[in-house]
Amino acid sequence: MNGSIHPTLLVSAALFALGAIGFLTRRNLILMILSAEMMLHGVGLAMVTFGQIHQNNEGQIFTIFVLTVAACEAGLALALILSLYHRTKSLDMDLWSALREDDLPSPVGMDSSNSPAEADTRPAQPILTPAGLPLDPKTPLQPTRTSRGETTTHV
Amino acid sequence: MPGKRAIRPLGGLAALGALALGFQLVAGEQNINGAIYVVVSTFCLIAAVLMITNRNPVYAALWFAVVTLCVCGLFLLQSAPFLAAASIIVYAGAIIVTFLFVIMLAQQSGSSGYDQSSRQPLFASIVAFTLLGTMLMTFQSWGEQHAHTQVSEAALPKTIGTATVVHAASRPTEKEQVGELRGLGRALFSDFLFSVEIAGTLLLIASIGAIALAPRRAQGTL
Amino acid sequence: MSDYAQLILWLIPGAPLIAATVIALFGKLLLGGRSHVPCVAALAVAFAASLMLLVSIVPATFVESSGTGAEYIDEDGQTFVQIDSDTAVSPAKGAVATGYEWLDIGTLNLRIDLRADAIAAIMLAMVTGVSLLVAIFASGYMHGDPGYPRFFAAVSLFVFSMCMLVLAGNFLQLFIFWEAVGLCSYLLIGFWFKKPSAAAAAKKAFVINRIGDFGLITGIFLIWTTFGSTDFSKVLFDAAALARVNTEQPGMIQLICFLLFVGAMGKSAQFPLHVWLPDAMEGPTPVSALIHAATMVTAGVYLVARSTPLFVLAPQAQLFVAGIGAATALISALIALTQYDLKRVMAYSTVSQLGFMFMALGSAAAGREYATFAVMAAMFHLFTHAYFKALLFLASGSVMHSMGDVIDMRRFSGLRSVLPVTHWTFLCGALALAGFPLMAGFWSKDEILAALSNGIAHGQYKTFFTVIFGVAVLTALLTAFYTFRAYFMTFWGPEKFPEEALQPHGHGAHDDAHDHDHSHAPVVHAAASGHEMVHGDARPHDAPPPMAWPLRILAVCAVLIGFVGPAHLFGPYIENTPGLPDVTPHHMSLPLMLLSAIIASVGMGIAYQWYVKAPSIPEKLESGLRPLFKLSHGKFFFDELFTAILVAPLRVIAVCSSLFDKYILDGLVDSVGAIPRLMSQAPRRLHGGLTPAYAATMLIAVLGCVFCVMQLFAAN
Repeated sequence: MNGSIHPTLLVSAALFALGAIGFLTRRNLILMILSAEMMLHGVGLAMVTFGQIHQNNEGQIFTIFVLTVAACEAGLALALILSLYHRTKSLDMDLWSALREDDLPSPVGMDSSNSPAEADTRPAQPILTPAGLPLDPKTPLQPTRTSRGETTTHV
Repeated sequence: MPGKRAIRPLGGLAALGALALGFQLVAGEQNINGAIYVVVSTFCLIAAVLMITNRNPVYAALWFAVVTLCVCGLFLLQSAPFLAAASIIVYAGAIIVTFLFVIMLAQQSGSSGYDQSSRQPLFASIVAFTLLGTMLMTFQSWGEQHAHTQVSEAALPKTIGTATVVHAASRPTEKEQVGELRGLGRALFSDFLFSVEIAGTLLLIASIGAIALAPRRAQGTL
Repeated sequence: MSDYAQLILWLIPGAPLIAATVIALFGKLLLGGRSHVPCVAALAVAFAASLMLLVSIVPATFVESSGTGAEYIDEDGQTFVQIDSDTAVSPAKGAVATGYEWLDIGTLNLRIDLRADAIAAIMLAMVTGVSLLVAIFASGYMHGDPGYPRFFAAVSLFVFSMCMLVLAGNFLQLFIFWEAVGLCSYLLIGFWFKKPSAAAAAKKAFVINRIGDFGLITGIFLIWTTFGSTDFSKVLFDAAALARVNTEQPGMIQLICFLLFVGAMGKSAQFPLHVWLPDAMEGPTPVSALIHAATMVTAGVYLVARSTPLFVLAPQAQLFVAGIGAATALISALIALTQYDLKRVMAYSTVSQLGFMFMALGSAAAGREYATFAVMAAMFHLFTHAYFKALLFLASGSVMHSMGDVIDMRRFSGLRSVLPVTHWTFLCGALALAGFPLMAGFWSKDEILAALSNGIAHGQYKTFFTVIFGVAVLTALLTAFYTFRAYFMTFWGPEKFPEEALQPHGHGAHDDAHDHDHSHAPVVHAAASGHEMVHGDARPHDAPPPMAWPLRILAVCAVLIGFVGPAHLFGPYIENTPGLPDVTPHHMSLPLMLLSAIIASVGMGIAYQWYVKAPSIPEKLESGLRPLFKLSHGKFFFDELFTAILVAPLRVIAVCSSLFDKYILDGLVDSVGAIPRLMSQAPRRLHGGLTPAYAATMLIAVLGCVFCVMQLFAAN
């Protein structure tokens, strides 16, 4: 308490930062969501504190709305996590990295964890022929998939 | 190793006490509120650290519940009793329980690799602590601006352009404290009536969405 | 009166256009094998309207002049120019129906209007009449072809375009429909587009016509810049403007005439652009008869005749016309001597006769007062030629039809008793083409010789026209010879059929190079087999009624239509055309008639001697004059020559352009495209697919934002 920072603001900022660390480092889908919720706690705490400082109810009211949205978000996140779990039987966030560039290595298997194999669920993308060139009958217009040596365990 | 397991909370409590004492010494305030504040906030931070570091996701979720409870305590100390109650109900009562349920169903096969190792903790810590420092600097600069002036409503701008900054109903009346349920309710259902309605609609949409998103599955499985 | 005139004017091109639209839209779905019905009906309507126009236009019930008359707009918003003929500067007779203003850009005021006068009325009557007969013939000939509706849609479209070309009131409209008939010709030459030879022939016709069209459009541009308008009334029929331009820019009219004639050379297949027409015989035979013998190819003659007011001011251009005409006539007659493909003989004969017409047009160089007679001779030959050449082509088609699509004259002979109708009608056409006395071709060829003799007798180019006259006489002799060579080879001698004609079904031996019409062959043979079952022996059958009746009608025309010349119907009629110079009285010259009669008889006699009496003579001649025979049989090697001097260099340029495009232009584009790729090499490393990594990026960005906001606060 050096007189210029309200101590609750200190806690709220610390909570926000710790939540960020949790979100960045945890690989469990549910714990990532919980870390995000912790960041929301920090934000709510800051707003309540500012309301107290300003002698105003608006901070608390806003936090109530944040709470409402957090509840919605938690419900939807749970549904999404369940459908993700349904496809891989795992809560590992690293399995869902299909949006990466093709030539980058998959995060799965970078560490020596015994994570289950990933199903290549990337959607099929059509390969366009360069304009002006005749179609080569040998290369079909079917989606091509870079093989990464992953077995398909689609359940 | 039961011994070690018993020692851990003890050590934590000892550290807590030391921290509380330290804060007390630094602050030099002798009221009970200050002591409670120091204990609760310290415990909150410790619980948060444990939550993001614990390898067992069930414990981590439980530590998150502790964080929520501590935050509710801080809410109470910041004269927000209704918010504290609501947070406990929503978070500890609903969200944590549901997530725990999911975690436990998903962890039936035992501990999994992805909970054992974290991803780039050093990088994440550097980013997050830089963020923390920035936030604290912001707060500090704000505090320096307002340190010598008594922060009151009169000092705040009432309008910016044509937009009203502070709603009339959000101000506590002379007789009330900030965060009193009466004032909160009056503000919610007068100034923020449309927002309340929209929030309700949002909840409805989210529940429908969650039902639609949830995978069809056989009975008793996830 | 004006309403009546407008109605028939619009009916002539309108009816075929409606038919084309109806067949094109509903032919495949609804009409099928009845697709010829709208086409024939529309052509009959157009023919009737043309006849009405023909009889009503010359009595000068409506006359038109350039601007001096009272102009009123009737209820339909169509302008009709009417003028009292006494006040007209020059008696410019004709009817005009203005459709609508198409373009009005600066000084270019372009209207789509229909303008008819005597020469146009004759052309229209000829075009619609021949088209009607050919369409009826084609309804039998093309029966069962999978492209039956397409064929009649294209034919209707062609007749529409040709009528609009003839009725054009300005040069640009003429050019538009000039191109439209070219398009129809392309579509119909390539009618059996699955055959590589047909597709190549269509492409060749299109490309070679482009060369001529380039000349034509350049000439039209010059007309526009010189006269400030492309309207016939302001260019051709405005004597004052013509005289002014002639004195101010004497070379300009020469240049315009030359360029217009280049256009005519392309369309009318004149040397050296004649090479497309023989190849155009890849199309169905009715198309050859209609487009590539009777109507479209005469558009060039019509253009030059129409532009007579310009050409009389450009004697050099007329000499050029005559020279090209003579060269074409002689060369193609020489080629026709040795061809074995019946349709190709007819094609080269068409080219040759077109050369005759241009010779006649060119003879106007003798003097202004002979121009009208020259035009009359050319148009008369055009008119008679349309009938007997259409007849010859249709008869050739009938022969092909019976012979199982074999057209090589060496493979059949003695068809006289098997195909009596075809034989007699072919004979009528051949006599007319050879210029046998009292036949159609005799009168018109005689007129041309008379026009050329005018050139010898008068003017300052006597020597030139003596040579041209000599060429014309020689060509007439050759014409008589090769026509009857084809006739005797086909219809006389021992009876001989190719095996394709005798096969009851199928068309097995079709690797013959001359199987033009094989798409409809199965139907032909199905009909033949039905015939056989009744008679019990395998003999080719003659033309069915839809094919026989047009042949008969055309044969009558080929014999009799020439009498409109000596009966003083044709010449005085065409003299009513506006813009033609004053007429000098002309009398038939008996010595010339005698000369052409002798020429025709001698040619026919030689053919009879060589191909009926002593068939060994041609073989001896062939072996004795080997190089000459090869030269003629190889069509003077024009195709090879063009390939060597034009196509090969162009191909080299094309290959160079292709390489330039592939390696330099594409390389440029690719390198531009490579820049973002190179620049993205570093940032794409960030795109690892991990959600927390994205979150970290977001956090860092938030950090930056907070710093900025703080800086702003500090500044405040």
